[in-house]
Amino acid sequence: MVTIDFTLNGKRVTVDVNDNETLLFTLREKLSIKSVKEGCSIGECGTCTVLIDDETHYSCLTLSSKVTGRDVKTVEYLGNIIELHPLQEAFISCGAVQCGYCTPGMLLSAYSLLLKNKDPQDEEIKRAISGNLCRCTGYIQIIEAIRYAAGILKQNC
Amino acid sequence: MLPEFLSRTAKTKEEALSYITGLEDVKVLAGGTDLIVRMRKGEAYKHLVDVMEVPEMKGISCDEEGFKIGATTTHNRLSNSQFIKMNARSLSLACGLIGSPQIRNMGTIGGNLINASPAADTIPPLLVHDAVLTLESKGGERKEELEDFIIAPYKTSMKSDELLTFIHIKRKRFKDYREGYKRVTKRAALAISRLSVAWAIHEYEGLFHDVRLAIGSCTPMPFRPRIVEEFLKGNKKEEQIIIESVKMILEEIKRITGDRPSFIYKIPVLKDLLENILRG
Repeated sequence: MVTIDFTLNGKRVTVDVNDNETLLFTLREKLSIKSVKEGCSIGECGTCTVLIDDETHYSCLTLSSKVTGRDVKTVEYLGNIIELHPLQEAFISCGAVQCGYCTPGMLLSAYSLLLKNKDPQDEEIKRAISGNLCRCTGYIQIIEAIRYAAGILKQNC
Repeated sequence: MLPEFLSRTAKTKEEALSYITGLEDVKVLAGGTDLIVRMRKGEAYKHLVDVMEVPEMKGISCDEEGFKIGATTTHNRLSNSQFIKMNARSLSLACGLIGSPQIRNMGTIGGNLINASPAADTIPPLLVHDAVLTLESKGGERKEELEDFIIAPYKTSMKSDELLTFIHIKRKRFKDYREGYKRVTKRAALAISRLSVAWAIHEYEGLFHDVRLAIGSCTPMPFRPRIVEEFLKGNKKEEQIIIESVKMILEEIKRITGDRPSFIYKIPVLKDLLENILRG
């Protein structure tokens, strides 16, 4: 057992974790962040995606001790039910959400892309979400949503 | 759930080496994209030593002979590095194709080498560049050619008290070479290479001057067809020579591996791939 300290969605958190504990488990079971999902558990499906220092990581393969002192973001950082992030609005308006299981991870991969690339081409969007699987086959709508959100975000700044 | 273990995070190379030597049943953890997956399937150790926080094992730096890459440099960093793009284009391309963005943000070049998969994407480009590895232990350090380091599929010559710290590339740039990396996979992302080729080729006035090829996923370990490289040296860049040399490579692969069911597919695909690479 070790006590770790990190920034979660902009707030400092301190939590006791087991040596063999994954970030996925810590977030879900100890910090009540249920948007981070367990899918394949072997780093292929992307539904456990979180941002560590604004880069996408699979939390199912990340030991919690690795985020000591780091900045961790989950979809809760983007927006809430009262004020959604433009990406979340775009996912809704473009029909990019079906069962919703992949959505938090998809949004984080999209958010990480838009931080680095304000005006991504479709190929760049596809590459950015290539580590996130959607089994409702909503890829076209997801790509459209990200492209649409990029346009809105560009207008806003 | 992962099997139980105790984990230590090393902040310096010395600390990492002390843990590796001092602790019982210990395994080094870097990005975790291979190790944690295997541990989920039951592979167990008493101790893990996380080396991702060791600053000197990260990044790219120039030295007298060429440049060196820290073992915990991520695939993402390598594929985005302008320096690697300029000086080891095949490596840059290969790192950009590994896994997915998440895997590339986590996984490291050192981890890819130690995992020593026949399909590892970083190995063929590093073979083309005659990469040399530094392995450190409490007792000192040794250097070994990557070609000798991998001794069997998923097996290396690394001893239990050793830590892979650097990958050295002696010559900075293959000036006037055309260099690349191509792979064949079942799908674009999150795929294991079924076939891969890295190359660096120098031609001059219609003659092959220096041809370096490394082929992955065909033999137990990625390999350089040295006999053919030698055969091509000074030879004319003509269709007949190209066809002849590719035939020699394919025969060499069959000699090493024996006949395999997958060869019905792999051999014709590799033939076209190699011929096109040589034609340029």
